[in-house]
Amino acid sequence: MEKRIVVFCILIIFVLSIPVYAGVPMTTVEASVNRVLAVLRDSKLKSPAAKEKKKEKLRIIYKDMFDEIEFSKRTLTRNWSKFSPAERVEFVNLFEQLLEKSYIDKILDYSNEKVDFYKENMTSNNTAEIQTKIVTSSKEIPIFYRVTLKDGKWKVYDVVVENVSLVQNYRTQFNDILAKDTPAQLLDILRKKVKAL
Amino acid sequence: MKKHLTLIVLFIFLAMGCAHSPSTSSNALPQANSSSQLILLASNADEIPAKSSDNPIDAIDNEYKDDQNLDYADDTFKEEKVEIADPLEPFNRAMHQFNDKLYFWALKPVAQGYKIVIPEPARISVKNFFSNLGFPSRFLSCLLQTDFSGAATEAGRFTINTIWGIGGLLDPSSGKELDLQKQDTDLGQTLGVYGVGHGLYIVWPVFGPSSPRDSIILVGNYFLYPPWYIQPLYASLGVSTYELVNYTSLSIGDYEALKDAAIDPYVAFRDAYIQYRMKQVKARKAKLALPTSQEVNPPAADPASPKKEI
Repeated sequence: MEKRIVVFCILIIFVLSIPVYAGVPMTTVEASVNRVLAVLRDSKLKSPAAKEKKKEKLRIIYKDMFDEIEFSKRTLTRNWSKFSPAERVEFVNLFEQLLEKSYIDKILDYSNEKVDFYKENMTSNNTAEIQTKIVTSSKEIPIFYRVTLKDGKWKVYDVVVENVSLVQNYRTQFNDILAKDTPAQLLDILRKKVKAL
Repeated sequence: MKKHLTLIVLFIFLAMGCAHSPSTSSNALPQANSSSQLILLASNADEIPAKSSDNPIDAIDNEYKDDQNLDYADDTFKEEKVEIADPLEPFNRAMHQFNDKLYFWALKPVAQGYKIVIPEPARISVKNFFSNLGFPSRFLSCLLQTDFSGAATEAGRFTINTIWGIGGLLDPSSGKELDLQKQDTDLGQTLGVYGVGHGLYIVWPVFGPSSPRDSIILVGNYFLYPPWYIQPLYASLGVSTYELVNYTSLSIGDYEALKDAAIDPYVAFRDAYIQYRMKQVKARKAKLALPTSQEVNPPAADPASPKKEI
């Protein structure tokens, strides 16, 4: 009898601790950001030669942290359906490269700034906004991560820097291009852009 | 019997532990049950863009078959869908180009040289000094918005920073003890709070993105910003240029990053400007709707509270 109760107690603990684990989007984002900071502050990777190694490590974290398909879908919105499946794959790929290439140097620059996680807003049942700020010597940069629960894991689908949503910003640009051009032409522009960076 | 009681108490205790986020726990539970299968799915999705083997096309297609008709424009953040009329686009694009060249050919090289000569703490002090001079405009804006606590904060900041902050070079009032944060507001926001829209998009030479509504900031500054009272005019222009160079020296690289990441920089900056201004106005409105929010929330957690400027 006593044994059964103990087993039952343990079972209850397990069952009830799952939602707590999955229900804290802030911890997920915070853990990812801390992993990024650990790579950036790693004294073994300080030399310029280790830059590629750093990038490789960051890429792994990025893949785990972001939902790039969701990212692409939200930037294209209605236009997503105009893309053929093959074009979608290429778009997601190119968009990811574009973001990586344009922001990696900025990210590698950061080292000793403090990152403050101060608020979590549940915006719906499965989306949340994590409010953070980077404190540098001369200013504070507010950065909000918007996350969505996908396959039991919280994934970032939008980043809001200084009140400007990245998804919204690209959405406006892509809408502008797709108003007059075809998806194929947009991919062409993206290809050239990625190559030029 | 006692053990049953313990069990019940334990159950209640644990159930209460989850109650703080009922919305998440309720939907996370069923998903966690089939976690092994979902982990498989998740890792699949991650690898699709990376490797172009087999047929990732099918995989991506299958994954989204079910929500093909989902309209992502209507997502949770729909209030952010902002567009602005841009009938002056050819003129604006030309001005955007002009400002871009002005930055890369004149402002940036000068600011870079200045940055080498003057150490960062000194440049931050200069920025504080000019920021302190922006007090009349911010104070008036707060009053016009009937944000009296904001106006009081500004008045307090100005007094403290001018006297104990050596004429505004230091910013003791935003420290932890006093915690009087700069009210990040202006006359354009004031009009916005009263429901005036942007109208259309204008890019001014030198001043950059604006709109007829926000151009009131330029007009207002002419009367409210002390450096414009310096005589003769070239001296006043010189001071303003210096302020701009000093400011740029603290943010070299920001403009470049935004520009490099954009497909069409003109559209990217237009959208960024509109989003930025809209959220500022929204934050001001939120602050006015909850006049006690400053006392209830810590300033850092309150979106309506202005960002701290050192």
